[in-house]
Amino acid sequence: MTDDTGLKPRLVAHTRAIARIARWEVTRSAGTLDRRTIILGFIAVLVAGGVALGAAGGGVAIDKDLYRVGVASDSPYYDAVEESTVLDPRPVSDPNVELIVSETHVSVTDTPTGMAAYEAFRDAVQTYNERQMLRESNQTAAFPVVVNLQYRERGALVPPGSRVGDGDGDGSADGAAATGDGGSGSSDGDTDGQAGGTAGSSAASGAAAADDGPIGAPDVGGAGGFLGGDTSGSPASISPPFPFASLVLAFAFLVPMNFVIQAYGSSILNERVNRRGELLLVAPVTPGDIVAGKTAPYLAGMVGLTVAIALAIGGGPVSVAAVVPIGLLFLSATFVGAMFARSFKELTFVTVTISVFLTTYTFVPAIFTNVTPIALISPLTLVVRDLSGTAVSLGDFAFSVGPILLAALVLFLLGTGVYREEDMFTQRPVPLKFLDALDSRISRPRSVATLSALSIPFVFIAELLVIAVLYVLPVDLTIPLVLLAVAVVEELAKSLHVYAAFEKARFARTLRVSLLLGALSGFGFFVGEKFTAIVQLVGLPSLTLGQAAFAPSGIGVVAATGLLLAPLVLHAVTATVTALGATRGRSTYALALLGAIGIHVVYNLQVVSSLG
Amino acid sequence: MITVENLRKAYGDFPAVVGSDFSVESGEVFGIVGPNGAGKTTTLKMLAGLVEPTDGTASVLGFDPEEPEMRRRLGFLPEESPLYEDMTPRSYLRFFADLYDVPREEGTKRTEAVLDRLDLEYRDRRLGDMSKGMKRKVAIARSLVNDPDLLIYDEPASGLDPLTTNVVLEFVRELRDEGKTVVFSAHNLFHVESVCDRVVIMNRGEIIARGTIPEIRAEHGETTYRVYTTVSLSETEHHPATEPEGDQHVAVVDEMSDVEAIREAAEAAGGSVADIRTDEPSLEDIFLQLAREAPTTSAAEGGRGQS
Repeated sequence: MTDDTGLKPRLVAHTRAIARIARWEVTRSAGTLDRRTIILGFIAVLVAGGVALGAAGGGVAIDKDLYRVGVASDSPYYDAVEESTVLDPRPVSDPNVELIVSETHVSVTDTPTGMAAYEAFRDAVQTYNERQMLRESNQTAAFPVVVNLQYRERGALVPPGSRVGDGDGDGSADGAAATGDGGSGSSDGDTDGQAGGTAGSSAASGAAAADDGPIGAPDVGGAGGFLGGDTSGSPASISPPFPFASLVLAFAFLVPMNFVIQAYGSSILNERVNRRGELLLVAPVTPGDIVAGKTAPYLAGMVGLTVAIALAIGGGPVSVAAVVPIGLLFLSATFVGAMFARSFKELTFVTVTISVFLTTYTFVPAIFTNVTPIALISPLTLVVRDLSGTAVSLGDFAFSVGPILLAALVLFLLGTGVYREEDMFTQRPVPLKFLDALDSRISRPRSVATLSALSIPFVFIAELLVIAVLYVLPVDLTIPLVLLAVAVVEELAKSLHVYAAFEKARFARTLRVSLLLGALSGFGFFVGEKFTAIVQLVGLPSLTLGQAAFAPSGIGVVAATGLLLAPLVLHAVTATVTALGATRGRSTYALALLGAIGIHVVYNLQVVSSLG
Repeated sequence: MITVENLRKAYGDFPAVVGSDFSVESGEVFGIVGPNGAGKTTTLKMLAGLVEPTDGTASVLGFDPEEPEMRRRLGFLPEESPLYEDMTPRSYLRFFADLYDVPREEGTKRTEAVLDRLDLEYRDRRLGDMSKGMKRKVAIARSLVNDPDLLIYDEPASGLDPLTTNVVLEFVRELRDEGKTVVFSAHNLFHVESVCDRVVIMNRGEIIARGTIPEIRAEHGETTYRVYTTVSLSETEHHPATEPEGDQHVAVVDEMSDVEAIREAAEAAGGSVADIRTDEPSLEDIFLQLAREAPTTSAAEGGRGQS
């Protein structure tokens, strides 16, 4: 006799149900697309891929032979023109040229095209000369000026114990003092002048070096960064540390996702229009089976496209493994959006917002792959590294992908919570739907603790985003802002679901219950927060901003046991304050939230002060 | 087959169903009747496991309504026919047969059989291109592909033309004859009266009458007698006056003793009673009477509850 309630039979049953729904979703969705739409979509992806490949690899030179230059074959400039892809060498007698180069002078037609051709000619000559100099056996003679380029982590330039931005530092060469005056540096002599200029520009950002070690990107197991990492060479050979080619190629991974989520969102919302999905709900399958079955084809499509793009542009398994969680986050956010949206019009707004936000969130940090460890908040940074042939450590991978993956799973969990008759077909504003989704995951007091813990990926992402956004501001401004933002994000994360539960009459609005829920929420958050200890693996807390965001809450602070337990007390107290407010309705909750944020900010400031 | 005890459902502060108790026996057609907002649909959805009760219990086919095994043996037809309009009747039914773990060959056989039975010709036409009646037939067919023991139909003939309505009601009778248990709701009381073995009447979320139709009639209805006489009679303290009707005279009375008094009076006047007819109240009459008597508080007054 078989036991149908065992784990294996249940797993098999769920898998079969998911497979059936997925198969149905594929055939049904295929029926809703006309051939023209499919062809247009395919062409759009091809064009996007082609442009990316062309731009990154130089495979498509749209400016080849753009300007015609009349130059004699025995002219010293002939090789420079001939080697340039932009310039097309022609005989001097050719009347159809923008530029004529003779032994002694250059003749240019007085037109914008002529002037542009002249600029291109100058660049071509400069590049040619650079190349020639590089071939010289005596490089010291060829390049008498050498620039040493070292990337320094901005926050680490603040020495421990010093006040930030007091503006009266001396800017001494040992870099031990803070300065806000732009530093000073000797400018006598070429070499010194370069070095002084570098120091001055660093100091101009409001801080001076505290140590000698370069920070650059987090330790990626390589030697001294890559591409635009620490380098030395002639001034002309120094280029900005942006891995442009890899970035463009990495962006190609994001393009198809924006198409896929449109179809996916429509499919989910379609179930909610006219109660169409009601009959699936009454079938012998769970909401989880339905959601998984409907999502699987789109996820499979994304994975397939990711693998294809990776193969096309030379990405490895690391690229695929880093991009798939991004795809999952795109899908999960779209799923939740489609579960909350009241119409296709609202869904369009949701999907566009998701596209813009997630594309920005993943792409922009990757630009700074070689500059700061903050870039690792985006898994696309891993792709850039992979494409650049740089090793990625397990810690980097976990730090970059972990929060994204967890956030995606939690979003699916929340959305599935409202994938039921009572919520799917009601037309409520998005904020109320969000509260419904939170409430749907609360069945008993301990669920409050679980939800607080599950909020950690979002808290982590939000805090990293704050750091990334505020990174460009002066340190003396960013630290208080980061501390405030951290308090806001964390207090919301600990209290919104408690408020939702009270609003939905899940619990009695009593003092005892609110104390219990507050304590549980604070405890759950504290436990979940420990998972952010992964930041230790990539050295983010070594950044001043990283410390501001994570250290005050206890992560990474192992110096004192008190500081380890203090966050638990903080979270429990502030969560209880908001829980008490939530028992009395929205206005009181808002006031209590402000109070909790205030307590949290004061706490953070105290911790930062005590840490020096 | 179904046992319901103190079943309640509230949407926020709004009580949609305020404590239902009833049971449904195997093989019967059980009707839930009432006006819009009475709580019929909410009750059916709680039985189908779609809506979670706020309080009370329901046992359907021996299971909690949310158990997948119960759903496997249930055929549910919602009030609307929310079909996937890009599918054809054939592909739609096969998909659901597959979802209910019906073996492929058996699923195909059942699909064709049920489409034959409902006389649905256009099996490969897009559902979106079909008439409302045809869509309803497809929806009914879908409720049968898993060969369920229990069918829950919410307003199965709602919005259909009289001809299709007749087909649907006849089909429900056939299902009963096959031994299926059918629970269905309607606000058209004629439909209920014509197919149901037992009914509950709901109003404002609560059951206000229950039983077989004769039982309800006996308990809540007022039977009247039309007594036809060959002579005209004036009103006395024992009977009312007769009214001329054709070449006879008629008096309407509520009690058999009044009938007897008229017969005696007619004979005393040299005439006789030509005919006695019984007028039984329709379910609609009873419902209207009960609705008028019911307290005006609670369920139907606003809120987001379903009928």
